[in-house]
Amino acid sequence: MAVLQMQRISLCALQKDRKQILELLQRRGVIEINDIMQQDSVFQKTDMSSAQSVFEKSSNAAIQALEILEKYDAEKKSMFAALEGKEKISIAEYYELGCSCDNIMEKVYHIINLSKEIAENKANIIKLKTQIEMLIPWMTLDIPMNFKGTKTTAVFIGSFPSVMAIEEIYAEIARQNAEIEAFNVDIISASKDQTCIIVLCKNKQAAIMEDALRSISFTYPSSPSFVPPAESTKELESQICSFEGNITDAENEIKEYAHVKNKIKFVIDYYKLRAEKYDVIGHLLQSRRTFILTGYVPEWIISNLDEELNQKFDLAVEYENPSEDEDVPVLLKNNGFSRPVEGVLESYGLPNRSEVDPTSIMSYFYYFLFGLMLSDAAYGFLMAALSGILLLKYRDMKPGTKNFLSMFFFCGIFTMFWGVMFSSYFGDAVDVISKTFFGTQISIPPVWFTPINDPMRMLVFAMAVGVVHLFVGLGLQLYQLIRAKRFKDALYDVIFWYMLLIGLILMLLPSDMFTSIAQIKITLPAVLTKLVPYLAGIGAIGIILTAGRESKNWVKRLLKGAYGLYNVTGYLSDVLSYSRLLALGLATGVIASVINQMGSMGGRSVFGVLLFVVVFIFGHLFNIAINLLGAYVHTNRLQFVEFFSKFYEGGGRKFEPFAAKSEYYQIKEEEIL
Amino acid sequence: MSIGLVLALLGAVAAAFCAGAGSARGVGLAGQAASGVVTEDPSKFAKVLILQLLPGTQGIYGLLIAFIALSNIGVLGGNVADLTVAQGLAYLAACLPMAIVGYISAIAQAKCSVAAIGIIAKKPDQMGKAMLFPAMVETYAILALLISILAISGI
Repeated sequence: MAVLQMQRISLCALQKDRKQILELLQRRGVIEINDIMQQDSVFQKTDMSSAQSVFEKSSNAAIQALEILEKYDAEKKSMFAALEGKEKISIAEYYELGCSCDNIMEKVYHIINLSKEIAENKANIIKLKTQIEMLIPWMTLDIPMNFKGTKTTAVFIGSFPSVMAIEEIYAEIARQNAEIEAFNVDIISASKDQTCIIVLCKNKQAAIMEDALRSISFTYPSSPSFVPPAESTKELESQICSFEGNITDAENEIKEYAHVKNKIKFVIDYYKLRAEKYDVIGHLLQSRRTFILTGYVPEWIISNLDEELNQKFDLAVEYENPSEDEDVPVLLKNNGFSRPVEGVLESYGLPNRSEVDPTSIMSYFYYFLFGLMLSDAAYGFLMAALSGILLLKYRDMKPGTKNFLSMFFFCGIFTMFWGVMFSSYFGDAVDVISKTFFGTQISIPPVWFTPINDPMRMLVFAMAVGVVHLFVGLGLQLYQLIRAKRFKDALYDVIFWYMLLIGLILMLLPSDMFTSIAQIKITLPAVLTKLVPYLAGIGAIGIILTAGRESKNWVKRLLKGAYGLYNVTGYLSDVLSYSRLLALGLATGVIASVINQMGSMGGRSVFGVLLFVVVFIFGHLFNIAINLLGAYVHTNRLQFVEFFSKFYEGGGRKFEPFAAKSEYYQIKEEEIL
Repeated sequence: MSIGLVLALLGAVAAAFCAGAGSARGVGLAGQAASGVVTEDPSKFAKVLILQLLPGTQGIYGLLIAFIALSNIGVLGGNVADLTVAQGLAYLAACLPMAIVGYISAIAQAKCSVAAIGIIAKKPDQMGKAMLFPAMVETYAILALLISILAISGI
């Protein structure tokens, strides 16, 4: 449980070692590069953005090629493929493969070109298919479509944009111009939106014929074929065939590259790493023969790092404590039990400089509250077993996923615990099954009590948990204030509140109201009963006097103090908010028993058993899903809103080390972080 | 069948249908926003799905109350209790918090969810905070649920 101490590191080394040093640091991933030094006449920054963008481009091209390969040769992936994590390679392999990168990039570009070729061919095929479609109405025509006539005759091939019967056409032409004699009209095809015709007339009447046709909206085809349409179609089809052949060839060629897939993955990582390195180089101050690197490094690692660097290179390293006003990045270190909830903390905000890392304390409450909300032994077992198996099977999964699964593993265990306490195994499945199918009702007795039968007791317990949670939060605030040596604030903001709240609670416990709600009679020793009002009174007066202490004016100060005291209602609503522990716990149990009851409606028969199995599986899956979501959301809420508001603000910046952020491969080396 | 039983049934059914109707509207509303985000970026599916489901809990709470009430008055077990009008009214009153608050909070929460889905669209890493805003609204549904449960089990 700690925020790791950071040191500012300044490293000065020779240019000739630059590559090795940077690559070592990148593999170690322990330094956050942060350049605060100014450039001067000797030490200057070099612009590396062009080199960086070249590497990025290569990496992106490789990504594209990989996508193309995946498209044509999709590997069968298991449902959990995402959990497999990165493959490990040694440094020697890394450098060896690095040398063959140019060779692989050639293949990458070839793959991209092939895929472009496929796209072009596909576009051509579409174009040809449209042409064929346009020829379909003319298919029965056995002369070229651009045929204009013979020595003595003129021929018009074209269409009307509507349906026209042959008589209509004759009549229209005759009406347009009575001089036209001896002409022939044939309909080639007719459809809803066009009538294709061929008109034959005497050559010398061609001009007036054309006029007549045009005036009844005759048009020539937009792209007439120079051979009879049937032949033209055949030719187009053979072209399509050849394009399709090209596509198959290209596809086969791409498929042949399937074996370089792993190498392409390597290239993606290789160039990504180099691009990152060059980004860092751009931040270095460089002279002709030396360079300076500055940044933050976790304190505990310094001795290891120092030794390794001095052993391998000639360089000068300095470490110093960061100054007060520096924006030092935050890195947390927790044990395996608490680490999983770091992600939850991070989604709220990392601790700022004056705050402690609450992860460890939060983790206990987190699992505890989560288990209390879900509270079913069988559900908890399923959760813990599933996440446990996945964690064991895929040891190399990404840290984020690992944390998430570990969190559910521990939540599952606590859910089991509370399920046993409250006797909930798939709700009341044991009772229902034994009663419906075996005739005698068997119940597993709860270790503690059954909340549905005794909701008031559960409510009191939930609120007691809330009081503990809130008091721990207040305690953390006390610790922070004392650590910062702000003793007065500790007294005013925490101790007075403790006095008031404890006093109020002790006054409430023996009262009749509490007895009637909780059905437990609590009697305090007589001395305590006398002292308690004073305790609460001192607390309240203290708060009135000090809560407005930033105001100089006494009237204002007291008014603000009274308003500060009003905050006691805030504590009341905070505690009431923990009643969701009861509500959500009951929701799981009651829905589960609704499912069991629905399942058992078939009675004691083959059909009844089948119905029960189906309803049981789907019903409980649904119930787990919906209540898991509810428990997750509301546990977060209790942590974020009720708990954190007592002591925690967040706002720290995450430690982002210069590291090998690879996607597929990981260089085998002792990992320090 | 007595008037008391009818009143009690009315209460149980109201809890299920008001809260259920609110949740149906709410999940529908949030689902539209979620679909919009997924058309742009399918990888956010899981995150927006969680936000879409948040206003769905009221319907479940309503079901829960209806179930407890029905089993209390014996409708589920088959041996229906003979309730007086006063008892029936008591059940009706006990179910009302869940029915009314369930309906209103589901819709209010859905609006919050829609806005939170907007957060996910622009800043997917802020999931923790985005989830919290709709969860704040849910508190009141939970309080209503609590009162309804306590009231029914107290009758």
